[in-house]
Amino acid sequence: MGVAVKLLVMFLVLASAAIAIFLVVAYSTHLPVREQHDIQQRGYAIRGRWFLSLVLFLIASFAASIPFYPYMSATAALAPARKVPVIAEQYAFIMPSRLPVGKAIIFEVTSRDVNHDFGIYNPQGNLIAQVQAMPDYTNYLRLIFHEPGQYTARCLEYCGIGHAIMAKTFTVGDK
Amino acid sequence: MVLTSDNTSRRVMTLYMGTGLALTALMMFAGLMLRASQAGWMPMSPGQFYAVLTLHGAVVIVALMLCGMGGLWFLMRRLTSLSAGTALIAYACIAAGAAAVIAATLFGGFAGLYTFLAPLPFHGSWPYWSTGAFLIGMTLITIGWMAWCMQMLGAVLRAYGGALGALAWDFVWHRKVFDASGRPLPPPEAFPALMAGFDGMLAGMSAMLLGVALIVRWIDARVLINPLWAKNLTYFFAHTYANLIIYMLAALIYVGMPYATGRKYHTSTALVVGWWCSMLLTLTNYFHHLYMDFVQPGPFQYLGELSSYLSAVPVTVVTIFSALMLVWRSGMKWTLGAIFMYAGLIGWVVGGIGAEIDATVPFNTHLHNTLWVPAHFHTYLVGGCVLFAVGWVFLCLESRSIRRTGTLMRWAVGLLTFGGMVVFLMGFYCAGAYGVPRRYAIESPPGPELAKIASIGATVMIIGFALAFAEGVRLRFGYPDGEATMRIGQEVEA
Repeated sequence: MGVAVKLLVMFLVLASAAIAIFLVVAYSTHLPVREQHDIQQRGYAIRGRWFLSLVLFLIASFAASIPFYPYMSATAALAPARKVPVIAEQYAFIMPSRLPVGKAIIFEVTSRDVNHDFGIYNPQGNLIAQVQAMPDYTNYLRLIFHEPGQYTARCLEYCGIGHAIMAKTFTVGDK
Repeated sequence: MVLTSDNTSRRVMTLYMGTGLALTALMMFAGLMLRASQAGWMPMSPGQFYAVLTLHGAVVIVALMLCGMGGLWFLMRRLTSLSAGTALIAYACIAAGAAAVIAATLFGGFAGLYTFLAPLPFHGSWPYWSTGAFLIGMTLITIGWMAWCMQMLGAVLRAYGGALGALAWDFVWHRKVFDASGRPLPPPEAFPALMAGFDGMLAGMSAMLLGVALIVRWIDARVLINPLWAKNLTYFFAHTYANLIIYMLAALIYVGMPYATGRKYHTSTALVVGWWCSMLLTLTNYFHHLYMDFVQPGPFQYLGELSSYLSAVPVTVVTIFSALMLVWRSGMKWTLGAIFMYAGLIGWVVGGIGAEIDATVPFNTHLHNTLWVPAHFHTYLVGGCVLFAVGWVFLCLESRSIRRTGTLMRWAVGLLTFGGMVVFLMGFYCAGAYGVPRRYAIESPPGPELAKIASIGATVMIIGFALAFAEGVRLRFGYPDGEATMRIGQEVEA
């Protein structure tokens, strides 16, 4: 199961929980009516707890996500790695057709014309990494391919009417 | 409960919201065409596909902006001094701009997309004039938007004693001073108006800056535009516009839900502080659109994630939670107006969950520019904004009509609209989770299969909305003779 499918499951669980709360509140309109001031004190107490829980959860999630940011640190930039230039143009990627497995690669990604995006799909079709390809700039993406096979780079930033055909397959490993 | 018998404000609201909803309906058909094309059911060339996609995106944003602007203008006209003439000038600019966008895309085949990331508009296969027409159209829309924002901001500041008064600063920090001053406390709907006016002006200025730069580039090809600068400006104004739509429509919740539940909604410290936070966070969370631009300065990436996360706090803790408290054991009658409004709250929350997942940098690597992105924004635009606008229209109709909607009709509208919507949206979410890129005229598997399911869902949803439209017309013909007073809303002094 790819990472994104796990995210879909997480989304469905959270969305279902939210919808369940709305349904319970909606059902309460069929119960005997209570005056607004009778429910306010309890409601505000629940709201206070919700506020604290949500803020703590979000800040904790933010802190937990930072180590997994894809941006290359200064240390990683100096570590040994094979530099692979990638030039994007309407509607092709100019890059090597074969790359090593299990070795650090730094893709140096730029564009000759408009904004593109260099999205890498593994042999199972999961999107494993991406970076924008911009004119006048070079973006550096560090990646290690752990699995040999046929990978596909697709453009993920709309770049003109040939956008959907902008792809390049490349082989990782000796196969 | 007497609200307003001000015919001018009703007419302005009807003009704005009527145009907005009519354009939204047309764009639903355009969207259905796009999904049907991806499903392989409707042959479209890539050029046609992307021109319609450009039209769909740009016009939907304008259409829903008009809904929010019209509704909020109507509510604030009861409380402040707003000129109908200025509102009409703003409308005329927006209408002229929308006409130029329609001409550029439908007749000129402009397919640079509604985000028109520079320098793409100048590297397309479409005629050069259509690029100019599109850019001038978007600039005109921005001029209309800024005229409306300026009017709204000025009216709110005048009515509540300047910036500090409109922000209810003393109400929060110096309560005794505020109580002794006798100054009016802004009602809940004044905060969306303040936010739309202030944030809307900032977003409009960035749009104007970019628009003028691109028009100059269109005139003289020697002009160079930095693509990262242009991208930041594009997403700043586009994201802020999209956010402000739902915040403007929140004003309708603040008036509509108390009306539907028979309860009161008042300004509290939590509400005020919540709106302060929303005003700030909306200006900084656009950075999440640039996570995959690794050359963007690093602190902006951190700020983007934190700001996007925290945006959920005022929305859920203040607006959504308060609405749930209004409904809880209120005995609310589930009219179509109440159903649409309440369902809109669900769409807002569910779309927000999808957005927060995508706003997490490590997750964004797997979701950025896949169909997950249209999944979440369609959830809160169709499942939130459209439902708030339609719900508001129904509350207005129900408040004046002597006719009532039958149980069978309410169930039919609800099941078709929401059932179809869930299927339609899940087509996007599932495709996004399987890495299907967005904006592909021809998708790779499982895109086409999911597009077929989504097209069926969208068709069912549109049938549901059509049924609701027919019921709305029936209610409209149930107005008593000579009745001119709209009864929805909080009491205001004449």
